[in-house]
Amino acid sequence: MSGLRVLNTSLFLLVIFLIQETVISRIKFPIDGFSLYLAALMVLLSLEDRSGSIVFGFIGGLIMDLSIAADTPFGQWALILTLIGYLFSLNKESIGDFTQSPFVFVTFISLASAFALVVYLVIGALLGQNNGTLSHLISIVFANSLWTFLITPLFLPLIIKARTALLSNRERV
Amino acid sequence: MARGGGNRSRLLLVLLLVSSLFLITLDLRGVNLAGTFRSGVSTAVSPVENLFSRLFSPIGNFASDIRNFGQSKSKIKELEKQVDLLKSKEVLDEDVIGQLTQLKNVLDLAGRGGYKVVAAKVINRGSSTSFNQTLTIDVGSSDGISRNMTVISDGGLVGVVKSVSSSSAIVLLMSDPTFKIGVRIAGTQSIGVVSGQGGNKYLLQLLDATGEIKVGDTLVARGSEGGRPFVPGVPVGTVTTVQSNASSITQNADVEGISNLDRVGLVAVVVAGPKQDPRDSLIPKPAPTVTVFVTPTPSATN
Repeated sequence: MSGLRVLNTSLFLLVIFLIQETVISRIKFPIDGFSLYLAALMVLLSLEDRSGSIVFGFIGGLIMDLSIAADTPFGQWALILTLIGYLFSLNKESIGDFTQSPFVFVTFISLASAFALVVYLVIGALLGQNNGTLSHLISIVFANSLWTFLITPLFLPLIIKARTALLSNRERV
Repeated sequence: MARGGGNRSRLLLVLLLVSSLFLITLDLRGVNLAGTFRSGVSTAVSPVENLFSRLFSPIGNFASDIRNFGQSKSKIKELEKQVDLLKSKEVLDEDVIGQLTQLKNVLDLAGRGGYKVVAAKVINRGSSTSFNQTLTIDVGSSDGISRNMTVISDGGLVGVVKSVSSSSAIVLLMSDPTFKIGVRIAGTQSIGVVSGQGGNKYLLQLLDATGEIKVGDTLVARGSEGGRPFVPGVPVGTVTTVQSNASSITQNADVEGISNLDRVGLVAVVVAGPKQDPRDSLIPKPAPTVTVFVTPTPSATN
């Protein structure tokens, strides 16, 4: 994986993050919100190779830590998404099977986003953060995975195309 | 070969995990990395947020539009008639009128309370992945805004300024689970604490075990030392249910917020508190009812 590709993909993630922060978070979804950024990052991680999943998990997490609304220690999302990236890299072959069918892939992305949020809450609880009542947290995680499941098919081809465009010629072969 | 790749992945993982933990430790030990970076992002993003706030304001309410879709067909014909009527008149943008009314009401509330305020427009809402309930407003340190200032709307309390950049500020909403405010039941001296529950409902814990709470009681902010983070007298909410539990040391009640945080578009940041506590003078009074007397006149059929 070349340094240029790391830079390109990081910039791509940063653009999605800006769209999330400026446009998507304005929308008042019923129940609760949807994270385009988290869904796009999960798509990217599932398509990357072993080391790519870990590296982009870390970079994606660092970008997510920049969120102006976040009240958490800088590096918390980086830690969580590096772990998620590692889980992706461990199960690369199984995830490869999921990506063959769009329906299964979207379901997988929704569950992975929900899992990332649950890990965030668990690590937050270990760090002494108060994120609200259990029912409220469950509703946020559920709503997020539901919206991810419904909305991801709309932009999934775009993310895959953009990711292919970011690959170097050698990686594309 | 595969083993070598696996070792490299593990080494990379350890390196990145250690880096993340290092960043978290630095942050928790008071090195303000997050503040610096997030403030930079906020400064860079706020002009874009402002732009999108103007461009995409109809998108924000798409959910309610979808809910009302069924009723839309019957309304279309009715509306088409009204369009012709409105074309002949001077039409002001309803949105602008709504905003002006909100602004007038919020300034009216601030004036009655003796608060010095800076009016602001809501330009964004917090991301759901942060699990924080926040708003971004279009005023910042260049407008005299600093941390821990009370934010009010035309109804009452909205939240408190959590962080500030030069041209925008993040407001922690009172619905956030970490939000707590000392309140007084209007008309009495009973005091308690209202905490956010993540939704539109709040929890009141009365500190005085012998105090009495009734459904319909209005709660006002007690105020903090120096007016920060809370100025006194701001209406907070109304008691909807009293939880009766004999074994509990404190008395609890469910509270409904006075401000509709989902619909708030204009707010005011209190930059200086009142000289005197406004006490209960800011509590919204019920609208006066109009009584019409009809006297039947005798018919002229003699």
